[in-house]
Amino acid sequence: MTSAVTIPRHGGTGSRTAVAARARQVVKAYGSGETRVVALDHVDVDIARGQFTAIMGPSGSGKSTLMHCLAGLDTVTSGKIYLDDTEITGLKDKKLTQLRRDRIGFIFQAFNLLPTLNALENITLPMDIAGRKPDKAWLERVVETVGLAGRLKHRPTQLSGGQQQRVAVARALAARPEIIFGDEPTGNLDSRAGAEVLGFLRRSVDELGQTIVMVTHDPVAASYADRVLYLADGRIVDEMLQPTAEQVLDRMKDFDARGRTS
Amino acid sequence: MTVLKTSMRNFLAHKGRMALSAIAVLLSVAFVCGTLVFTDTMSTTFDKLFAATASDVTISSKDSSNTGETTSNTGKPPVMPGSVLSEVRKVEGVEDAEGTVFSTSVTVIDAEKKNLSPTSGAPTIVGSWNRTDARTMEITEGSAPKGAGQVMVDADTADKHGLKLGDEIRWITAVGTHSAKISGITDFTITNPGAALFYTDVPTAQRTLVGESDVYTSVNLTAAPGVSDEQLKQNVLAAIGGDYKVLTAKETADENQKDVEGFMSVMKYALLGFAGVAFLVGIFLIINTFSMLVAQRTREIGLMRAIGSSRKQVNRSVLIEALLLGVIGSVLGVGAGVGLAIGLMKIMSQIGMDLSTRDLTIAWTTPVVGLVLGVLVTVLAAYLPARRAGKISPMAALRDAGTPADAKAGWIRGLIGLVLTGAGGFALYLTSEADKASEGSLWLGLGVVLTLIGLVLIGPLLAGGVVRVLGAILLRIFGPIGRMAERNALRNPRRTGATASALMIGLALVACLSVVGSSMVASATEELDKSVGTDFIVMQDTGQPIPPQAVERVKSVSSLERVTEYKVHEVALGTPDGERVTGKDISAADPTYATDLRVETVQGDLADAYRPDSMSVPEKFAEDHGIRLGSTVDVAFDDGRTGELTVRAITTSDTVIDGGAMYTSIDTLAKYVPADKMPLDLMVLASAKDGQQEAAYKDLKAALSDYPQLKVRDQTDYKEALQDQIGQLLNMIYGLLALAIIVAILGVVNTLALSVVERTREIGLMRAIGLSRRQLRRMIRMESVVIALFGALLGLGLGMGWGASAQQLLALEGLKVLDIPWPTIIGVFIGSAFVGLFAALVPAFRAGRMNVLNAIATE
Repeated sequence: MTSAVTIPRHGGTGSRTAVAARARQVVKAYGSGETRVVALDHVDVDIARGQFTAIMGPSGSGKSTLMHCLAGLDTVTSGKIYLDDTEITGLKDKKLTQLRRDRIGFIFQAFNLLPTLNALENITLPMDIAGRKPDKAWLERVVETVGLAGRLKHRPTQLSGGQQQRVAVARALAARPEIIFGDEPTGNLDSRAGAEVLGFLRRSVDELGQTIVMVTHDPVAASYADRVLYLADGRIVDEMLQPTAEQVLDRMKDFDARGRTS
Repeated sequence: MTVLKTSMRNFLAHKGRMALSAIAVLLSVAFVCGTLVFTDTMSTTFDKLFAATASDVTISSKDSSNTGETTSNTGKPPVMPGSVLSEVRKVEGVEDAEGTVFSTSVTVIDAEKKNLSPTSGAPTIVGSWNRTDARTMEITEGSAPKGAGQVMVDADTADKHGLKLGDEIRWITAVGTHSAKISGITDFTITNPGAALFYTDVPTAQRTLVGESDVYTSVNLTAAPGVSDEQLKQNVLAAIGGDYKVLTAKETADENQKDVEGFMSVMKYALLGFAGVAFLVGIFLIINTFSMLVAQRTREIGLMRAIGSSRKQVNRSVLIEALLLGVIGSVLGVGAGVGLAIGLMKIMSQIGMDLSTRDLTIAWTTPVVGLVLGVLVTVLAAYLPARRAGKISPMAALRDAGTPADAKAGWIRGLIGLVLTGAGGFALYLTSEADKASEGSLWLGLGVVLTLIGLVLIGPLLAGGVVRVLGAILLRIFGPIGRMAERNALRNPRRTGATASALMIGLALVACLSVVGSSMVASATEELDKSVGTDFIVMQDTGQPIPPQAVERVKSVSSLERVTEYKVHEVALGTPDGERVTGKDISAADPTYATDLRVETVQGDLADAYRPDSMSVPEKFAEDHGIRLGSTVDVAFDDGRTGELTVRAITTSDTVIDGGAMYTSIDTLAKYVPADKMPLDLMVLASAKDGQQEAAYKDLKAALSDYPQLKVRDQTDYKEALQDQIGQLLNMIYGLLALAIIVAILGVVNTLALSVVERTREIGLMRAIGLSRRQLRRMIRMESVVIALFGALLGLGLGMGWGASAQQLLALEGLKVLDIPWPTIIGVFIGSAFVGLFAALVPAFRAGRMNVLNAIATE
């Protein structure tokens, strides 16, 4: 782990902890009474700074919900979520928006880019919105890292799916957020393009000291992470450090079998 | 069946998106139906009034107008000797005969010298209380007038001016001013649309209105039982010969109806014209709605095609949706139209035209016209989008985004647009070059239509350039938010173009009319400065003649150097080319008129036209009828003899003031027209002694203080009055164009609302990566402002082009000065920005309220 040396500077909160985000006893429930569905059931989780964390689990396990709650996109029913030292549960929309803008990066499965803006404009969009000037050197490095130097003036429709996701990765990185959330960022890509994107994410953790949380159901994607969290029925049921694709796949099969027998 | 079902489901699923289009259809249909109901109701009201107030048979003087309305240039109504009454009493079949005296050439004032005449243009009538009127009126307070000191007032007028029993009022006629106290108040049992009525007894009416005794303006006959009106008329004609006008009740009512019909049909077609503009604008809105619905449903339609729907079925399903929209919008529109008519009636009663909802007339054709028009326009407007829907390939179901834009069609369209705009521009140029008004107006019409269609077609192409420029100027200060707004406006130029076009139409008309109106004022002002050589103009704004006593008052003002009287008399002319021109007016004035109003002559000296048995003719008339200087013209004076007048001056036709007037002297007129038929002055011009301008102005006003109907104006007043008059007319037209502009604003709202729906995912993404609600709303507002300003720019530019061409054309009629009212133009442009802000209110609010997660998850 080389993260400690290259933690990116951040122009906000003062002292930094080793934990980038925390969830404490988080419950997310939909509906009430008979129809009440619990998506997250008293979840406690720490996201380590400078690490690449993958969240796995079968459909309906609550993995996306957990990510959305951590990222301040969704509200929780009870419990607390902290980003660094800031409690984000209970923040008003205005503060949350600012928080997402300044401290969080996103990579979605698809439709990551605004069709009216070219690649470079898309990359600098969060900073533009905030009215900040992007750090030129940093931007160049990010663009270099994701290999987009020749395509910055292209509109999203002129880019392949893999290139589009790379632009999305660059955008997430460019603003130097404290944490990047990826929602199946390679879900729409073929294995080669997916590997490329995952490679960049890995490198950004290793070389740029970025913190990344990624939801996926692809064991290969999960194998790029430092740590894999398994969710089932709204609870964290297992954890794996330095996983390989085979290990992850075996574990998933395990869950599947258990799920089927129970 | 399935097609219908899908259409129904789609329609219901998107009813929110259809709402604004439905409102546009509703408004246009409502305007049409409202106009029809309103004019029909007016017609009914007058019908009832005329039918109820006409006696079985009415006899009046040959000189009186058919409607029995007794205005005349002499200021006194045409009368018959009293002997007529006693003669017809003996005629077989007459049960009752009553002589009446009425005049509309009166001004009635109260004790404070306030004019009691209606401001709506309805007549003021003073006359004798009679049994025919008593049938439709009841005395609600006091009693019928008896003797010279009493007068009875109608209840509406009494209400309006707070008149009570015992109040003193005065009426001013050519005979003099008479004063009386109110003895009674009488109310109509039917609807009186606004005339002010004052009743006296017969001798008082004879003395104060005509200045004679034993004369009548009309004799009302009641038929004996079993005698038809027609029979009675024949009996009367047989008894008193053809020296009088004899009309049955039906004929009287018909004549009256014909009299108001002209006014009503002008009003009706003017209102319908504005409704037409609203429809035109609505078409753009409907086209946009369906284009967007089709675009949003591309994948769905692709799927339908993939699983076997035919092109025709897809096409039809869209058209059926349009049909549903048209039917719903029109049905609601017909209902709203009735409401609108009632509203209009309320407004009209505010300005003095009372119409009762009891007479509300909805002809069966009204809803039919509304429905057919609404449905037809909607379906026609949806035709193009429907065709485009039919062309969607089954492959669209598999593609991620919508169909790629049809670039080639865009170019062809742009090219056609360019050619049409060019041709239109050339036609407008030809308009300004035209020598004849008829030819010029043809070019103008062609130019207006071609440039309008052309600009609508190249709108999408222009959108690219213009929006970029607007963006560079206006949006850059808003940084990336402005840039995104600009890009969004440019994203679908066809949509932006159509939305802006809708606004363009209304604003083009506004700009055109404002240019013409302001050029009119400027031209008239310039000509007034150039040609008017007098200080004061005295006249009645209603165009009625000036009582002779008032003229005497003017003449008695000592600070005046000269007073010029001006009269108009109807003549028929026998010209050197052997033709007989009837229905012309000749202006008879004092010789000083030639100095008071300097009209340029082409030949001769205008002062010579005032020599005995002389006249002047305008250039055009001279050319048309082979008249040269020194030619003689046979002038047959109405009610008088025919004289041979020598043409001693030919005036230019190139003038706004007194355009086309022929001049002669009052002395010449008096030579051929008997004294009792001499017209009263229409206008009196007065010039102050040197250096006494201000004193004269005050003296003149003081001298005429007993005649509040007369306006004394110096040149400044006169120009202001002219400006006010044109300004009022323009305001009325702007008010009516507001409907079209409202529909256009709905179009902007519609486009934005649908765009927001279309971009749900994008908005979700932007919100996720940190765009605040406020920034999002600002972005949508900016987009809206840019679209509105684009429309305003096109509209104002186009309208100024039209206006300038129209002015060039009207220059032939003396409208020589082109004046572009920049404050109005700039005001409208800035106003459009606010329109944009306003239009974005709801869409921006809704976009801001979107749930981020749901938005991202949207397909």
